[in-house]
Amino acid sequence: MTTVAPNLKTSSKLPVKLLLAICFVISLSGCATHVEVSGTFPKPLSRQYPFTTTLVFNEDFRSYRFENLVPREVSVAVGDTQVQLFQAVSGSMFKGTEVRDLMPKNVTTDLIFKPTVTDVQIAMPYETQLKVFEVWIKYKIELFDHNSELIAAWVMPAYGKTPTRFLKSESDALNQAAMVALRDAGANLITSFGNVPQVKAWLTTQSAKEAVLTP
Amino acid sequence: MKRLFCKRPATGRHSQVVFITLIALLLLSTVSACTTTTVDEYRESPSQLTMSENETVVVLGRRHAGDYETEPKFIDCIGESLNKAPAVTVLPETTFVDALYPWFEPRTAPLGLRRLEKMLADPLIGQRIRQHGVHYMIWVDGSTTTTDKDGSVSCAIGPGGGGCFGFATWEKTASYEAIIWDLEQLDERGRVKVNAKGSSYLIAIGAPIPIIAQVQDKACAGIGKQLRAFFTE
Repeated sequence: MTTVAPNLKTSSKLPVKLLLAICFVISLSGCATHVEVSGTFPKPLSRQYPFTTTLVFNEDFRSYRFENLVPREVSVAVGDTQVQLFQAVSGSMFKGTEVRDLMPKNVTTDLIFKPTVTDVQIAMPYETQLKVFEVWIKYKIELFDHNSELIAAWVMPAYGKTPTRFLKSESDALNQAAMVALRDAGANLITSFGNVPQVKAWLTTQSAKEAVLTP
Repeated sequence: MKRLFCKRPATGRHSQVVFITLIALLLLSTVSACTTTTVDEYRESPSQLTMSENETVVVLGRRHAGDYETEPKFIDCIGESLNKAPAVTVLPETTFVDALYPWFEPRTAPLGLRRLEKMLADPLIGQRIRQHGVHYMIWVDGSTTTTDKDGSVSCAIGPGGGGCFGFATWEKTASYEAIIWDLEQLDERGRVKVNAKGSSYLIAIGAPIPIIAQVQDKACAGIGKQLRAFFTE
């Protein structure tokens, strides 16, 4: 009897502790928002440059996840989707595209295009008191020639927002805002690429070379 | 027997009260709050807007403002309303924006007719717009916001059951403007402005009973009807 009593005591305490722990975990997960951004991009309508390019997506870029712990735990993974976006945009902008994980040693294309995420910020309605979810992504774009020499490096911001909707989850809203931001990144790249001064200068040199080579 | 007799009417009265309360709650739940809608219209010319069989109208939402966004659901609602007009074919917003990506994104969408003229002159963009047969482009700008709220409702749950008690009210205002662009004439053909305002209530005596003002739906109905009139009258 003396041995049964402590066992009973322990067994009656265990479910209570377990329940409390489950409640605690549920309450924590209830506050946290984790988003794996997913979606598709339409084929961009862009004028094609007569060059081939190698897209370099390193591991950090492919698996980029923005994490914020204060005031609430929020994480947004944009890695896979941004890879899709840059592939779609590059496919429309250049006549040929290759994809690599690292900077290539033997370059087989005219250009090397390397995007890097430098910053991601999000703003939730409870922080801004606005009825919109907002996502900012700041990219650094590096463009190299076929000798791996830097042609241009510039900062490319992207912004997306989506309105709050009744019965729409925070995850869905953030996913949508991130998709709008990624579409904006594509729009920015297509419309501003030829206007980056160093790129513009390089393109002018190339057309001059082309004019010399073509009788 | 006497005690039993005395108890019976009490039970009956109680069930009667419960029944009446339930009926009242049911009736209340079917009632929707009132909405006041004002629609203003401006036409460049009194003539009706005409379209040929293969031509389409696209309704697009303005999304460039920082603090609000024209709701995609509202744009769909206007599109559905406009589609009811005979001889009007509405191209869905997403289909058009995706087909023209990235030229109708918030960053790149034309804010004026001059910019649109340049876009139409671009062989790539102009050709794609013409492929979709877009004759009229309707830009809708605005949003629905909660302008006032008051009261509170608290709910509690316990081992014996749960319930809510309180009263809350909030006022919503929907303010939108639609501008019609003619892509062939490169001209503005008219404007429709709608303002809808309504108060919603939440009464909670045990169960919460919402009496919701359908502000955005009324605004959509108002603007949709007026836009249809451009193509029919």
